[in-house]
Amino acid sequence: MVSRWMYISLVILYGFLLGPFLIIFMASFGANANLAFPPQGFTLDWFANVFETSQFIDSFWISLQLALLSTIVSLIMGMPVAYALTRFHFSWSGMVETVFSAPILVPGLVIGFAMLNFFVLLGDMHVMTGLFIGHTAILFPYSVRVISASLRNLDPYVEDAAVSLGANRLRGFLLVVLPNMQAGIAAAFVLGFITSFNNVPVSLFLSGPGVTTLPVSMLSYLEYYFDPTIAALSTLLVIFTVVLVQTAERLLGLSQFV
Amino acid sequence: MIRRPNQTRTIILLVAPAFVFVLVFFVLPLIFLLSQSVLPEEGGFTLTGYLDFFQSRVSRIVYLRTLKLGLIVTGISVVMSYPAAFVLARMPARRRSFLMSLVILPLMTNAVARTFAWLIILGRRGMINQTLLSLELVENPLRFIFTETAIVLGLTQLFLPLMVLPLVSAMENIPNDVLEAARSLGANRLTTFVRIVVPLSSDGLVLGATLVFTGSVTAFVTPAILGGSRLLLMSTLLRQKAVIIFDQHAAAVVAVVMIATTLGVNLLLRVARVQHS
Repeated sequence: MVSRWMYISLVILYGFLLGPFLIIFMASFGANANLAFPPQGFTLDWFANVFETSQFIDSFWISLQLALLSTIVSLIMGMPVAYALTRFHFSWSGMVETVFSAPILVPGLVIGFAMLNFFVLLGDMHVMTGLFIGHTAILFPYSVRVISASLRNLDPYVEDAAVSLGANRLRGFLLVVLPNMQAGIAAAFVLGFITSFNNVPVSLFLSGPGVTTLPVSMLSYLEYYFDPTIAALSTLLVIFTVVLVQTAERLLGLSQFV
Repeated sequence: MIRRPNQTRTIILLVAPAFVFVLVFFVLPLIFLLSQSVLPEEGGFTLTGYLDFFQSRVSRIVYLRTLKLGLIVTGISVVMSYPAAFVLARMPARRRSFLMSLVILPLMTNAVARTFAWLIILGRRGMINQTLLSLELVENPLRFIFTETAIVLGLTQLFLPLMVLPLVSAMENIPNDVLEAARSLGANRLTTFVRIVVPLSSDGLVLGATLVFTGSVTAFVTPAILGGSRLLLMSTLLRQKAVIIFDQHAAAVVAVVMIATTLGVNLLLRVARVQHS
């Protein structure tokens, strides 16, 4: 049933998906500053330049803190929601599901814009607080969905057994359910972290003077400079992502949750 | 399932913290946005913002261009993914899971990095221009950046995985027996593909198309880098109105039109699914 031209289409697909990465990779080691193709010579200067550009270093730390904080908070708040949705039948569960999937249906740029206007209305808010709120809100759909999927895979009777043996609900959850959900929680964590770490549209409006995320600062760097520094930084980020995603895929099968 | 008298109280306690968060920090800002689009700073309720938007030639062009490019990107994604997804779905599990992790790799890398590659490929001294020049097919470099083609290429590369993933998972569920039955009853490969595989994977197709289309019409980074202010899409228009022209009323209108578009597409999908089943 699988014919030769289907294999050709597979090769084209992967060439198109991964080819750009190869080009970024090559450009980041090339000596010519104007990004002419093919790259001439070999240099590590652009990588050095990444680490010497304070705007990238500062925004990297902000992105890292922001991604960790918003992922953890969205997981801690999302987990009880997922638990309620999978373990109880209630008439308004559809409404709860809609509310928690809504942030995925609204364009990120619109979310950032609406939040900025609203925060201005509320008065002085720290830029980092605004970014944290924005990122946490857009991560709820992921954490609720992934944790729900992982809870559905777990037999509710296991938990009921713990309760009938004398544990209270909370103890049953902490000692029986939680340890069995490690893979789901880790998958939700990786997915949330990457979503936040890479986000541009929500962060764009919510970033402020001196407080910018890494992708947004890459975008603004591109407005003024066109040299392989961005290619070098992208290469570093791709390596970082490959290690993270491959580890997660190997351990947890991440692609089934995306 | 757990049945207890105070069940409702438990559910409320479980859901409340996140629910209040989303209500206050997500739903309220959107309601405020909606009110901004009909209540200009001068005061009074008005729909002139929307009238202005649809009567202005510029914003009409931008809106139609956004929809057009979204449709083109979706179409290209379908054509590129369909046969490839079929190959992936028929593969041994180990090889498939490796190849699928390569499909999600682009999704896991930030859009600025991915779009930057197109500047190197399409730029004045980029790969394509250098090839054309060295083959002496053109005398001067052609301009590819700030064209619709550039935006379409960038968006397709960005959202292609969102088409491949649902298609593969829909096709995995087609039993081999069905395909063999079709073949043994005399259908050739093409007929089997069109009459058996396509209908049985239509759910994946519809889902993928919705994800790619809504992603394309709302993406910001790609049109910002590859279209700039010369070739605006809705997202870059929103940013221009809000940050450069500083007209929050008009920007709010653009934002609401963007939400209405994506919600409309998702609603259509839901109706299509209900009728399908």
